[in-house]
Parts: sequence; C-alpha cells; structure tokens
Amino acid sequence: MVMASVEVAVAATKARDKAGAIIAAALSLPGVNAHAESAPERGEVSIKYLDYRDSQPGLDRIKVKAPSIYVLAPLSSQWSIEGSAVSDSVSGATPRYHSAISGATKKMKDLRRAGDVKVTRYFERSSWSLGLSKSKENDYDSRAVSLGATFSSDDNNRTWNVGVGYASDKIGSTNDPTLDKSKRTTELMVGVTQALTPNDLVQVNLSFNIGRGYYSDPYKEPDIRPDRRDQRILLTRWNHYFTGPSATLRSSYRYYSDTFGIKAHTFGAEWVQPIASRFTLTPSLRYYTQSAASFYFDPVYDPDVGAPYPPGYFTNPPKYVSPDQRLSAFGAVTVGLKLGVQLDTDWSADLKVEQYEQRSNWRLGGSGSPGLDPFRARFIQVGLNKRF
Amino acid sequence: MQPVTARDARRRKGKRELPDSYGFEFSAMSSVCEIRLEGQGEPQLALAAQQAIDEVRRIELKYSRYRDDSIVSKINAAAGSGKPVPVDDETASLLDFAAQLHALSDGLFDITSGVLRRVWDFRIGRVPDQAALAGVLPLVGWSNVRWQDGAIELERAGMELDFGGFGKEYAADRAMAVLAATGLRHGFINLGGDIRVLGPRVDGRPWRFGIQHPRNEGGTYATADMTEGALATSGDYERYFELDGRRYCHILDPRTGWPVTHWASVSVTAPACVAAGALSTIAMLKGEQATDFLSTQCVSFLALDPLLRSFQSGPSVGRPFVLGVRT
Repeated sequence: MVMASVEVAVAATKARDKAGAIIAAALSLPGVNAHAESAPERGEVSIKYLDYRDSQPGLDRIKVKAPSIYVLAPLSSQWSIEGSAVSDSVSGATPRYHSAISGATKKMKDLRRAGDVKVTRYFERSSWSLGLSKSKENDYDSRAVSLGATFSSDDNNRTWNVGVGYASDKIGSTNDPTLDKSKRTTELMVGVTQALTPNDLVQVNLSFNIGRGYYSDPYKEPDIRPDRRDQRILLTRWNHYFTGPSATLRSSYRYYSDTFGIKAHTFGAEWVQPIASRFTLTPSLRYYTQSAASFYFDPVYDPDVGAPYPPGYFTNPPKYVSPDQRLSAFGAVTVGLKLGVQLDTDWSADLKVEQYEQRSNWRLGGSGSPGLDPFRARFIQVGLNKRF
Repeated sequence: MQPVTARDARRRKGKRELPDSYGFEFSAMSSVCEIRLEGQGEPQLALAAQQAIDEVRRIELKYSRYRDDSIVSKINAAAGSGKPVPVDDETASLLDFAAQLHALSDGLFDITSGVLRRVWDFRIGRVPDQAALAGVLPLVGWSNVRWQDGAIELERAGMELDFGGFGKEYAADRAMAVLAATGLRHGFINLGGDIRVLGPRVDGRPWRFGIQHPRNEGGTYATADMTEGALATSGDYERYFELDGRRYCHILDPRTGWPVTHWASVSVTAPACVAAGALSTIAMLKGEQATDFLSTQCVSFLALDPLLRSFQSGPSVGRPFVLGVRT
C-alpha cells in the first residue's frame, strides 16, 4: 500500500510537470495558481485485490491473496488525510534452507493485517505530512512513524522533498514461543524533482537507513546475521513524454548497498501508452542484479554432518551465516503489463499482470551463487478506483 | 476576445431540486462578464461574487491605458525620456511574464505591439499604406524595452506598453483565487470568453461551455466540458473588416504589422487563464506551425481554419472539446 501512495504522489507531480513552459510561467504569477500546494479537492477510494504465487521447478511454494483499500479524503483546502489497509493471507511451503523444503517443515499459513494513515498540511509552497503505520502477523509486529515535507520553487519546476522515519519491529516465532526479539530502523531521505523541459521530469532520491536489532530468520537453520544493517539507496528516475505517440516513457535506475555486503542495481522502464480516449496500456520491464551477502554460504555442506550446515560449521563456527536464497548473488527479470480503463469521469479500473524470474546466472558481471534453483513468481492485481 | 458563451441554464430548469445555481452578470474590460456559483445560499454567493468583481475592477483600473494615473500610462508617458519607471511587485511579475512569453513565442507575443492600432483602424476598415506602417514598426519590439532592477524604460519615444494581451485573463485567474479563498468550490468566472473554472458543479458534473462559431455570430460550433482549469479563444472575428474579398483581423504580427490569416479561431484549455489566452494568441500568430507548437505545450486545443476545417489535439484522457452543438 506504500506503493499506492507513491503512485498518487507521482501522479500529482506529473500533472504539474506536464504543463508546458508557458503554463509554468503563468502559474508563477502571484495569485494565479490558487491551488498550488492546496489539498486535493476530491477524494479517492481504491480497492485492489492481489493474487501472488511463486514456484521453483517441480514445486509450488507460497500463495498470497491480498485485498486492500486506499482512501484519500480532503478535509479542507489546507488539510488532507489518507489511509490504507491490507490483509494478506499467505499459505504454502517455505524453504528451510537454500531451495530445499525439508519434509519436516510444516506448511505455513499466516495472516498479516497492516494499515497506515497520513495527515498532510498544505501551505502555499510547501506541504508537511505525518504518517503512522502498523502491521501485525502472529510472529511479527511492526510500527512506524514518518515525517515528510516538500518544498516547491516559485515556478513549480523544482520540488525538494525530505523525510525521516522510525520503525520498531517485534519478532517472534511459531516454532519457538520463547523468541522475543526487536529491531529498530531509522530512515533519512532527501530528494529533488526537476522539470527539465515541458516533456522531461527527472528525480533523484537518496536514502540512508540505520537498522539495529534482530535480523536472523528464526525459521531457517543455520541462520545468524549481524545485529546491524545500514543501507544506502540512490534512486534516479526520468520520465519523458513523447508528443508523437502521446506516450510517456518512465525509466529508473536504483543503486543499493548495505553492510551485509549486498550491492544491487535495478534498471526499470515502463511505456505508458494511452489508447483511444479510455484505455492506457503500460508494458514494463525490470532487471535486478545483486551480489551475495558476505555471510551467505553456497549449498555445499559439511562432509561429516551434512545439510544444512556449511563445512566446518561445528569445528570452526562462523560468526555470521545464512543459507537464505534472498541473500545469494543473482539476477532477476520482471515483465509486466497493465491495462487501465477510465469508465467515466469518476470511475476507473485496472488489471496488472507481472511475471518475475530469478536465476543465479542472470547476475550482471559474475556467475551468481551456484546450486540454486530458478525462482519464479506471478502477480495478478485487479483494482477499482472512484473519485468523489 | 469575446468568442465563448457559457450557459448551462437550460439544464437547470425543471430538473430535480439540485442546489441553486446563481449567475452574477457585470460589465468590465469592455466585455460582458459573468460569475456563476453553486453551493451555499444566495447571500453568501453574492458576497463572494462581489469580492471577485472588485478584484476584476481593481486590475482593470490599475492597467487601463485610458486612465492617466495608471501604471501603464506612466510607463508610456516616460517612453524615450531615458528615465526608468519603478514598478510595484504585481506589475513586475506581469512584466516578467511578458518577457517570458516574448522569449517562448520567438518574439510573436509582444506587449509593445499595441502601437500598430495607430495605423490599423478597424472601424473605418482601411488598409494602411506601407509608409505609415513603416513609420510605426520601429516602435514595436520588446527588445527596445529595458526591464531590470524593478524599473522599466521604453527606449524610444512613442513606444507603448499594452497589458490587454493578458489583462483580462489575469483578472479571471485572480478573481477565481478570490472566490476560492472564500471557501467556495463550485463555479466559474467568464470575462468576455476568457474563462477560469473554480470547480465542478455541486453534483460533480462539469460545466459546459460553447465555442463561438467564427462565421456565425451567436452560433457555436463546439463545446468544452470542464471541471477545472481555464479556457480561452482567439479568433479573426472579434474586430475585423473585409476589403476586396480579404479579411483583416485585429491580431497583428509584430514583425510585419499585418493581420494574421491562417486561423479563424483557436481555443485552448490550460491550468490558468493567462496561459490559455497567451497560447491561443500565439497560436493565431504562429500560423501553420501552431498545432506543432501547441502540442509541445501539453494543452488541449481546438483550431478552425478559414475553410472551417478543425484540428484538435491534447492529452488523450480528459480531452475537453467536442465538435458540434450539444444541449
């Protein structure tokens, strides 16, 4: 649901950005742009339903069904409130180590409920927002608070945004009722969005997250991870509007590195093509590649004890160790297609299908972690939106 | 600019008991003007409308060429004297805007081109001789204006500034802001066809505006449905005369001093009325490059050439213009 609010924010920026140079000049006249940073004038409700399933060769793994709702309501011309709620029901088998599903592993079934609410106050050239979120599973609770601000230049061509966030998580385990761990994360973010030409919008965001606490996976064995994880993220985006086909190309590059030793690059592109007056077709392609965490071990096991323990695990125990496939070196490709339809001035609907595939040998500039099965996932999401 | 009539009155009659819609008509800037509001009771709406009308009149007085004490008259009176005239912040913003329009239109939008009226008299209907035209052309040109440090100087005696190219549109935008500040959300303001929408009707429906037919006075040839933003139209039919089968309209090319001929009418919708008005005027001046130019400005437009062939484009979702007459 964080995605939903991000999309709304991007849409708002885009609407302003689409204005040509003369519109930008006009809107910088005093008193002309009465709605510069005013609260949204109309509310919005959207209901979405996500069906997710992933698999490895010969094995269906996790299925997720997640209905969600998002509501945005203007309170006055200066205030707005938005909130969302999601309920995930997860079922299926999760690997205990590497790609293996141990026969003893119970099929997991889990229900997650999460919600967030954000209040925004709009001033003439800035806005301030305070957000709270909460998520609850039977073995994982998370609460977070965030404070954000945006500042627009006089001509609305540039917007700065800054944000701080703090999250506190509690981690338990259904396998071990005595497990009672916690994790705290502080997030700092600064970014700028600039309209370069009437048809070009660029954005640069820098994030720095400081995490302390329990990062190990209580369901994996052996799994001992450092109790600190700091992350650095650079995100750049470039949207270009092509006047010929009246379409927008949204491209992005993201660099990620953390103190687990993972370095990752993401390249993404989407082509937003309006068709007739009602439809929008958006094909998308994303490529992701990462190096392995420094304490990830390949599926080569101790000759005496056997799986799942790495060689020397008992004779010369490593400080940190994990067989989690998500910490291995791999590359991944996501292809997607989204169809949106404007039913009338207030109602719209969309359908999104995405297919994800992860393989070790798709890693950029390296062979990737050996011995892992490819991993595939499929997302289907339908949504219905109404403005009021 | 007087091309658009905005009425949805017929729809109101005899229908369900929707909240009342009130129109406040007045005359300003040599135009028939109307503010139409929906929402609360008539007394509150009338009070808000009066504040908006006061704002229109303030701008009309401040930038009138016909009042000796207006800032425009002071600037024009000092032309060629070598003495810069300091201006207030609002005027400075408008001069900055005029400078940007001049640059972004490759010199076509020029607020010094009003002096061409000295040789083009549309009431008499006579084509000026080349010598007379050549006499005033040197007085046209933003490049002969020194605008810096909050003071403006027209370098040549006889030069004139004229805010008529965007004054009415600016007034529509400002009046809309006054209405919005009173808390109203439903209505529009129409200053002789320059329209700024405050917000949709109370029930969420758009306002429907007719686009003046350029060859049939009193008729419309298209409509625009709008819930926000602004609409402006420029046409060759507002002030013109015909001579020897040729039409001479009041939109004059500042480079040649001659009337434009490529388009009969250009309507533009944009977030602000000053933008819509400037873009429709520049489009008239751009001639056959107008459609390409407007496409780069990310606005919806509807243009009609003298053979009454229509051209339109804009973002595919929410395109406001529909040809033909709808009731």
